Amino acid sequence: MDWLTEFHLANGHLIKPLVVGTLVSLACSVVGCFIILRRLSFLSDAIAHAMLAGVVGGYLLMKLLFGTEAHVGAMLLGALLAGVVTVGMVGFVTRVSRVKQDTAIGIMYTGIFALGAFAISMKSLGQYIHIDIYHFIVGSVISVGNSELWIAGLVTAFIVAVVMMFFRQLQLTSFDPVMAASIGVPVVAVDYLLTACTSLVVVSGVRIAGVILVVALVITPAASAYLLFDRLNRMIVAAAAIGISCFWAGFFLAHAAGASPGPSIVITGTAFFLATLVLAPKYGLLVDWNRRRRAVPQEIKEDVLGAILRSEQEWVPINDVVRHIASNKPKIRRAIMQLIRQDLLDQKDAGLRLTSKGRREGRRLLRAHRIWETYLDRMGTPANELHGQAHKLEHMNDEKTIDYLDDKLGHPLKDPHGSTIPEDFVDFEELSEVRSSLLREGFRAEIVRVEDAALRDRLMPGTKVSGGPRSADGIRWSLVTEDGSTIELSHDQADAVFVHRVESDPS
Amino acid sequence: MNSSQSASKPAIEVDNLTVSYGPVPALLDVSLAIPAGKLVGVIGPNGSGKSTLIKAILGFVKPDIGSVKILGEDVARVKGRVAYVPQRGSVDWDFPITVREVALMGRYGSKRWWQDMSRNDYALADRALQQVRMSEFSKRQIGQLSGGQQQRVFMARALAQDADILLLDEPFAGVDAATEGAILNVLTEARQKGKTMVVVHHDLETACEYFDLLILLKQRMFAFGSPTQVLEPELLSEVYEGKLRVFEALTNHTLEEVLQKGLVPGTGEGRPPR
Repeated sequence: MDWLTEFHLANGHLIKPLVVGTLVSLACSVVGCFIILRRLSFLSDAIAHAMLAGVVGGYLLMKLLFGTEAHVGAMLLGALLAGVVTVGMVGFVTRVSRVKQDTAIGIMYTGIFALGAFAISMKSLGQYIHIDIYHFIVGSVISVGNSELWIAGLVTAFIVAVVMMFFRQLQLTSFDPVMAASIGVPVVAVDYLLTACTSLVVVSGVRIAGVILVVALVITPAASAYLLFDRLNRMIVAAAAIGISCFWAGFFLAHAAGASPGPSIVITGTAFFLATLVLAPKYGLLVDWNRRRRAVPQEIKEDVLGAILRSEQEWVPINDVVRHIASNKPKIRRAIMQLIRQDLLDQKDAGLRLTSKGRREGRRLLRAHRIWETYLDRMGTPANELHGQAHKLEHMNDEKTIDYLDDKLGHPLKDPHGSTIPEDFVDFEELSEVRSSLLREGFRAEIVRVEDAALRDRLMPGTKVSGGPRSADGIRWSLVTEDGSTIELSHDQADAVFVHRVESDPS
Repeated sequence: MNSSQSASKPAIEVDNLTVSYGPVPALLDVSLAIPAGKLVGVIGPNGSGKSTLIKAILGFVKPDIGSVKILGEDVARVKGRVAYVPQRGSVDWDFPITVREVALMGRYGSKRWWQDMSRNDYALADRALQQVRMSEFSKRQIGQLSGGQQQRVFMARALAQDADILLLDEPFAGVDAATEGAILNVLTEARQKGKTMVVVHHDLETACEYFDLLILLKQRMFAFGSPTQVLEPELLSEVYEGKLRVFEALTNHTLEEVLQKGLVPGTGEGRPPR
């Protein structure tokens, strides 16, 4: 209790600002959650700017009609009115013209702000107005009085009550307005309610941070909480806590530095947001960066398989593999560990061997590599660049991609270096139907159907055939029937004959 | 509602419905009556008013003229009888909400605003998640799911709502074959329980096997009936403006043949690789 009394004696004048600030920060942050989820940040900004005209209007009205000075209630009402008019005008301009919303916002709130500034600066009217423009722009939480305390209390109580009572409605209309309407939630009324709440918190927030910065009180804590939590109720509680903490931190920072609290509170909020952005446990940059660093790129795993497949040794020493791949050692080791876990590699001491699954995957990659090489060669790529480019491209080894290239190239048998391109064993699944253009020499198959009418009398469904040699530079196919006769086919004709293989590859 | 009522009255009755967002109506003079317990597909080219029809049946868009009746009652007065599965692209997947919370939304309609969610509501939401086999993901944020799982979460929400009518906007768009099968299972199960379903669908190839009835829409209603009645070559080429020249092939081959060969363009990967 001691320090509390001491604090009170020394800083008694700070109690009202601190209470008002805490209440207002809470209300702003809570409403801010819905604002950012509905992408309405502009709304709070527009309302804040419109306030000047509203405050001036309310002030003048009371002064000229009743002769009272600086009536808080009238100014607040004027501000609310100006906010609603701005939002209405933005909607109106967007609806009736081709001008888009962002432009309409820019036009309307600067226009209404200017109206207020114009009135203040006019000699004839200005003499009646005693509004401190500086404080209006940067806020003046230090000088809050009892009326502000009351307003802050009422606004905050109202906001908290609304959010607690209508949480489901606010959540559902923000997330899925179509469903909300279908179960009878008055979507438009909820929208108005939220606009009213926004006006209230902005108007009370201006006292703390000023018209230009008040938007930060609304959206910054909410955005930080958004990066931290996956559930709306938690996000709201967190936003309130962050908003209040940043207010206190900023307030005392300003106090210590002898500066104005408004900007200091906003700076604290922004700093907190940036820290969250980097450090957030789930959506933070650091976690993301770390995750990406730890992840083993698919390319390295493919390179490992390729290196082992191409090696002649039965058990390939790990060091040989590492030497073959252009990447850092820990990454390659992680890749090897993952491959072993995926049952693609066997390890014995410091030696590695492909499992049958790994061999299949390796051959699939080898096929992709050689088909890409052939493709590059046909495109006129210089021979000394073939391997390097194909090495990059082979990581595009999606089956459909490779099948397309293979078909376009006329199902080549050898790559530009003269090595055999593995056959399309992925499509040669047992009983799966393939085009006969995929058959290599010696492959035995049974005809399933023939889509070329001209071939139907010679090749009947059920006939057993085997692949014959290609001729004319590989662009003529041949099929050998069981009685020994040979049928020559063009690429298109071979494509029109559907077969399935009857026995496995003789190799 | 009792069962005799549902048998006599159509589940959804649309009369001379016209909806416009500007000078060109999105829907013009559409009239149809969907009997209860049917799985109905809505097909038509892009921008043909399919989603608008769904939103009109939900009561989300107000008709310029005409009426929508749900189980014989005006749509404006029917609340929660119709469940809705939105198009995947229209959902904010970053929204701070978990799988279970989305399913629980299905129960919101059964509560007045001052009533809390009861234990029973949570149980119903959990059961709905179980039905679509998403229980193990109930604590996940919805953005951390695959496309098919996301679709299933919204199916669960519709099931938890226990509505008589389900409206689905493109549930099969951008999901893999396994998910497509899973969603179809959920739909056929729901049909067995007597639910009426209206599904916006873009794939003509599968339309004839998935649905009991088809609505062919392009601003106006061009056809409403069984798939064989609706997938008429002349009708389709009129609606798709001959862009699909291949529809001529329909006149020479049977429908099955054409669909099997995947000759219908714009419908994806019917063609086997050469």
